[in-house]
Order: sequence, then structure tokens, then C-alpha cells
Amino acid sequence: MESGQNKRYRLKDKISKITLNLSVAVISVLMVFPFLWMFTSALKTHDEIRAFPPSILPASPQWGNFLETWQAAPFNLYIFNSFFTATAIVALHVITTAFFAYAITQLTFRFRNLLFGIVMATYMLPVPVTYVPSYIILSRLGWLDTYQGIIFSNAVSVFAIFLARQSFLQVPTELVDAAKVDGATHWTILWKIFFPLTKPIFITFGLINFVLMYNNYLWPLLIIRSRELYLITIGLRQFFIEQGAYGVNWPLIMAASTIVVTPLLILFFITQKWFVKGVGGSGIKG
Amino acid sequence: MADNIKSNKLSIWDKMKNEKVTAFFFCLPALIPLIVFWIGPMIFAFYLSLTNWDLMMPVYDMVGLENYRQLFSDPRFYDTLWNTLYFTVGSVVPAVIGGLLLAILLQGKIIAKTFHRTLLFSPWVTPLVAMAIVWSWLFNPRRGLINFILGSLNLPVLPWASSSTWAMPVVIIVSVWRTLGWAMVFYLVALDKIPDTIYDAAKIDGATFWKKLRYITLPLVSPTTLFLSVVLTVEALRAFDQIDIITQGGPAGATRTLLYHYYQSAFQRFNAGEAATIGIIILLISGVFAIAQFIISKKYVHYQ
Repeated sequence: MESGQNKRYRLKDKISKITLNLSVAVISVLMVFPFLWMFTSALKTHDEIRAFPPSILPASPQWGNFLETWQAAPFNLYIFNSFFTATAIVALHVITTAFFAYAITQLTFRFRNLLFGIVMATYMLPVPVTYVPSYIILSRLGWLDTYQGIIFSNAVSVFAIFLARQSFLQVPTELVDAAKVDGATHWTILWKIFFPLTKPIFITFGLINFVLMYNNYLWPLLIIRSRELYLITIGLRQFFIEQGAYGVNWPLIMAASTIVVTPLLILFFITQKWFVKGVGGSGIKG
Repeated sequence: MADNIKSNKLSIWDKMKNEKVTAFFFCLPALIPLIVFWIGPMIFAFYLSLTNWDLMMPVYDMVGLENYRQLFSDPRFYDTLWNTLYFTVGSVVPAVIGGLLLAILLQGKIIAKTFHRTLLFSPWVTPLVAMAIVWSWLFNPRRGLINFILGSLNLPVLPWASSSTWAMPVVIIVSVWRTLGWAMVFYLVALDKIPDTIYDAAKIDGATFWKKLRYITLPLVSPTTLFLSVVLTVEALRAFDQIDIITQGGPAGATRTLLYHYYQSAFQRFNAGEAATIGIIILLISGVFAIAQFIISKKYVHYQ
């Protein structure tokens, strides 16, 4: 037998549960709404997109907009450039991070803590401050407007070093000692013991940095001039300007944005748990 | 013969075993780019700020603190400072508070929690350039969806990015949209670490939701709050993409932040000296911010 009060309590509980779920659902939809609007706008005709009041969905989806966009600018080339440079950069991050994190955690040498402190301090740096001097340095190297300019100027990730150091510190010392007794070199210990054991952290920062590099805008905007080397973000901005930034060709601009955004959304939905792990778990105490 | 080579190799490896040599070679791959593209440029920027170089001429003069003097006597510079403060506070505070609220909501009994988390986080992953374009379409004064909704609710229709009053709110909304879910994920991790027993004890004592928030949740997530406000502040100081796409610093300089000013001096007016000077000021400001936030945290942040 249930008392009336208990029943009322249950009902209240149920209502609050429904309200909670509803409000979360509404917020989620609002957050992804710009993606949905981008996509439906990309499928509208010129008249539809400029209609007021706006229609939510196009009367008949204009898939041809995507084809037209693709013909107006070499988006496949832009996507290739972004994927290529981002992949090369992430590969460099893996190498530079692994070696540095190993030295910082496993080797003893003078100024070790100072060195680590300096490197971590650069994480707090507003990077763009270095852009003018870096631009000059790149031009002296003859690397302006080249792939290697984009790649090598991004070859280190302090964020990655920070994450890798944390997980290297958790590798049991007995394993390292045992390997040393067997005569293993530091090189072997790093690549045969540490790297396999801490692979998840490499995947995590690899994905996050890939995304950051794919989305990178200001720095490539400064150092890339030739169209063949445009990264996707620069290509899109150029397309935006050429199609008339003041609303001349919104369907095509939305189609182009969709082309730029979709690969990342797919990548993210497949790999989201790694992102959450890296972002949330990046080692804040407490 | 084969043995010989092997022993030769071994002796090299023996030398490599010398920790200092190994450490040197292991640090090198990271240190070279760091020095060439990060630390070196930092020092170089300071030097440049003392010159009047135009990025092209082979000759330039040392002008001492002239760039600093000029900047501080330029009223536009103070507008830029104000815009930077406006943008930073406007984009960091809502992202931190909103992130915490979202995380608290998501802690409840939610159906398809992971799915919601993925959706809420997704703005952070997508290229800001592309999404800023989409937002500028949503905020289009004449044909944008947002003004349509405002109009149909009988609310005033706003000129958004084309007015110097409303351009900054647009840029801020886009920035908060991007970082809200990101901040939430940090808070989700922090909330997960709070033991249920603390809340159970508070429940027995009859604590209300607000009391629990004030005396349990807020103190226990304070390290995350500190971390997020520092990182988001640094990020706000280097915000560029959304400003460049939506307003280009305008109208009438209303959204010209320090960083945008820096970009325009260096790469539109080719005044490397002035740009480097603004860069150094950005650097000093972020340093002061970071130190201030850590000092404040000494008082209010509770590490477990």
C-alpha cells in the first residue's frame, strides 16, 4: 500500500525527470541547429534562401548546388592540402612528443625541470604574438608559401607533451628496470615499452591536434599565397569573398561550408570518446 | 668481421647510454622547432617592437620606446583595449557558467547521455571559419533566421553585425557557442570525481539544491573553473577567425580587438614595429591575467 504522499512524490519525480530530459534535448538541438540550417540552406534555390519568411526545408533539394560549388573552386585540392599537412604535423607531434616526454620523465640531466617549465609556459603564450617574427624567419628560410613552412612551424605541440608526460609518469618503474637489466637502450625502452603502453594518449592528442590543424586559419592565411597550396579554411574564405560576402550566392556558400564541415563531423562522431578523454582528462587535479 | 661491426655498434650505444647525451638528442627534435618558431620569435618580437621596420625594406632604425609611446597616445588603442576586455569577459564568463550548468544538467538521469554530450561538444570540433560564415547568415539583418524569429515574436529586429552596438554581441555569441560544450566536458569529468557520499550526507542534512551547489559543487570543481578561465582567457585574447569572417574588426572598429589590431598593423599596414609592440602588450596582458587568476585561486580554489 502506498501512501498518498509517496505517490505525489513519485509524480513530482517523474515530472522533473521529463523536464530535465526535455530541456537537455532542446539545448542539444539549439547547439547543432547551425549545422542543420547550413545543410538545409545548401539545398535551397536562390529564391528560396532569400524568401522571407524563410522556409525550413527546400521544396525540392538542390543537390546540384554541391556539384556547382565543386566546379567553382577546387575543394578536393583544398581538402587534400589540409589532410596532408595536418597528418604530417600530427606525425611530427608523435615523434617530438615521445622523445621529449621520455627525456623529461626518464632521464636525469641538469636544468630538466627548468626546461619543462619553459616548455609548459609557452602553452600559456598567445601564439599569434610570434606570428610576425615567425613570418620573417620563414621568409629567410625560403619557406613562405610552402608545405614545409606550414608543417615545420607547427612541429611541436606543448599540449601533447603535457599529456604524454602525465601518462609516461604512470608507467611502472619495474618494467623500465627489468628492460635495463636486459640491456635495452633508451631507444628500445621508449618505442617498445612506453609507446605501446601509452598509445591511447597518442591517439587522443593526435585526433585533437589533427582537428586543430584542419581548422587552423590565421597562420596559414599569412604564409600561404598560391592557390594550389590553399588549406581548406583559406579556400573557403576565398570562396566566401568571391561569391559575394553580402549574400549574393548563399546556397553555394552554405554548400561549401557543408563540404568543409562534414569530414570533421564524421571523424568526430566516430572517434568522440577519444576527444572527451583527452579534453576532460588532461590532468587537472581535483 | 660481423662480430666486429656488432661490437662497434655496441660501443656507440654504450655512449648513448650516457643519459646526458641521450637526453640531449631526445630533447632536440622538440626543442629545435620550439626555439625557431616559438621562443626565438618571442625574443625577436621584443626586439622588433623597438624598430620602425616595414617588413620589406632591408634597412630600419632602432627607435627605442617610440612605438610604445605612440601606441599609448593613440585613442584608438584604448578603444581596442576596451573591445578586448569586452570580448574576453563576454565570451569567457558565459562559457564557464554555462558549461557548469550544462554539466550539472547532464549529470541527472538523462536518456542517451553520450549522444547529447557528443552533440553539445561538436561545435568545438568544426572549423570556426565555416561556422562563422553560417552564423553571419543566421544573423543577416534583412533575411536571416534570427531576425525573422525576433520579428515574429514582436521583438525588435536588430542590425547585428552592421551596427557598432550589436557587432560585438554577435562575435561573442559565436565564440560562446563554440566553447560551451567544451567547457562542459571538463566539468563533467570534475563532477564525476565528487563522491556521491558527500551529496548523500548533505541530503540527510536537508540541504537544498542551491546549498549543495554553493557548499559542495562549486568548491570541489573550483580547480576546473580556474583552469577553464585561464585557458579561455588566453583563447579569447587570440580570437581571430570569427572576427575576420563576420566583422573584420568593424563596423567603425567596434570589434577590433588587440589581436585584430595586431594583424592589421602587421599584414595590412606592414608596420612590423607597431605590430610587435601590440604583440608584446598582448603577451603582458595574458601574463598578468594568468598570474592574477592563480593568486585569486590561492584563496578560493580547493584542491582535494
